[in-house]
Amino acid sequence: MRQFFPVEDLARDDRFVQTNMAKRLADTRSAVDVKQSKSKSRSASNRLTPERHDASDAARSLMHGIMVGEIQALEGAGRTAHDFEAGDGTGDTIPFELKLDMARQAWDEARHVEISAKLSDWMGTEIGQFQENTVLFEAACSNDPVLRLAGVNRALEGLAIDVFTQMKEFGQLAGDPFLEFCEDWMLADEVTHVKMGSDWLRKVTEKDPERRKKALEFQQVVDKLFSFGGARGESDESPIGLARRFRELAGFTDDEVDTISQMDQEALEERMATVRLAQEAAGV
Amino acid sequence: MSPQVTVAPEQFVMVAYDAGEIAEMVRDLSAQIGIANPVSVEVDERTPLSKMSASVDGTSSDATVRLIFESGALENTKQLTTFGAPRARLSIGRMLLRASDRLSGRFDAAPDDLELTNPQNAAWDTYCGGRLQRLGLEPVEQQYRYDFRNRFGFGDAVDADFDRLWAADDLGWSDFPTVD
Repeated sequence: MRQFFPVEDLARDDRFVQTNMAKRLADTRSAVDVKQSKSKSRSASNRLTPERHDASDAARSLMHGIMVGEIQALEGAGRTAHDFEAGDGTGDTIPFELKLDMARQAWDEARHVEISAKLSDWMGTEIGQFQENTVLFEAACSNDPVLRLAGVNRALEGLAIDVFTQMKEFGQLAGDPFLEFCEDWMLADEVTHVKMGSDWLRKVTEKDPERRKKALEFQQVVDKLFSFGGARGESDESPIGLARRFRELAGFTDDEVDTISQMDQEALEERMATVRLAQEAAGV
Repeated sequence: MSPQVTVAPEQFVMVAYDAGEIAEMVRDLSAQIGIANPVSVEVDERTPLSKMSASVDGTSSDATVRLIFESGALENTKQLTTFGAPRARLSIGRMLLRASDRLSGRFDAAPDDLELTNPQNAAWDTYCGGRLQRLGLEPVEQQYRYDFRNRFGFGDAVDADFDRLWAADDLGWSDFPTVD
């Protein structure tokens, strides 16, 4: 069986249309009023709550994003379980117990895909109705297993904690019993996945501080990407909040969460500046 | 009779939409719905959101129907920034039905679209969705049902209200449910 699977070769049927971050960022429209003027059609808060006029549409789109994210997380965890030989964690090897954790995660993600597909159906979404951003799997394509732990288990699954918390609250506020229940259960798994990543990253790099530093730097790069131009963050302009409490339970320190929050804010400001320039250049 | 239709902007720069294609779609749907009034369409291409509204400046046959869309309402969700004809037909059809309702006089008590509450919007959308289906368009009923539940609650009585609105063809503003 092949090792190190490139993103272009992911198996999808013709319902799925894929995109990437470069294409997403080339879209210079903005849900936030970048000129800061008051407009009736734009709400003061962009947070995804049932009060938003487009709440159901936005929730459907996010739910679809969760479903394809789960597919990619399944593929990422499965690859890590397979791509590296069992060993003491040095070089290209990973401890056998880490392989077992990745296999368990792959099974969790497979269950999440099924749950997300059923939730999408419940919300009236067709599979493939929205495009699939493959950036999540791209974080799982490193040749160093420790970088995969940082990119997938800490950054990607950390984002999952934020997203599931937001969706769980959405279900709770809207009174949707299925959404709230399912998101709560999946959230519990994601906290476990992040904790596994945090623990293994520390353990595998225990005697290699340089490798740990490199992994944490990689995680910051990926975390900024996963902010999606400030779509996640603690600002009201971000649809998805930063779930501090659950991140803490998953092994993030306060300093780490503060750093992510700051990067989210930077990503939002950079995105708004880019959009503002593009809109001025286009004369709209 | 085909109504006079104007679309602004005439040239799009942030999305790959064609004003002529939109105008043609509006003319076609207006004929299906039975609107002969002039129609003015405005698209806000600065935002990917999908809010929309319909208004009329009178009830006579020459009153202008004004439709305003955020660009996401007309978009292909599989290829962002490109025009999505099936989605656009549903969005435009929904707004034309609202305009038609307002022209009928049975919705005189309704607030302006941008002043509608979320439940009022969901109820009206449901009433439009069922009629669009009977016109041969393909709204996803479960989407409308989910929107309706989000606004009115998740329960059998709410579902019964949804079914009544979806099946109806001749309602007035006072027939819509209100939030308890």
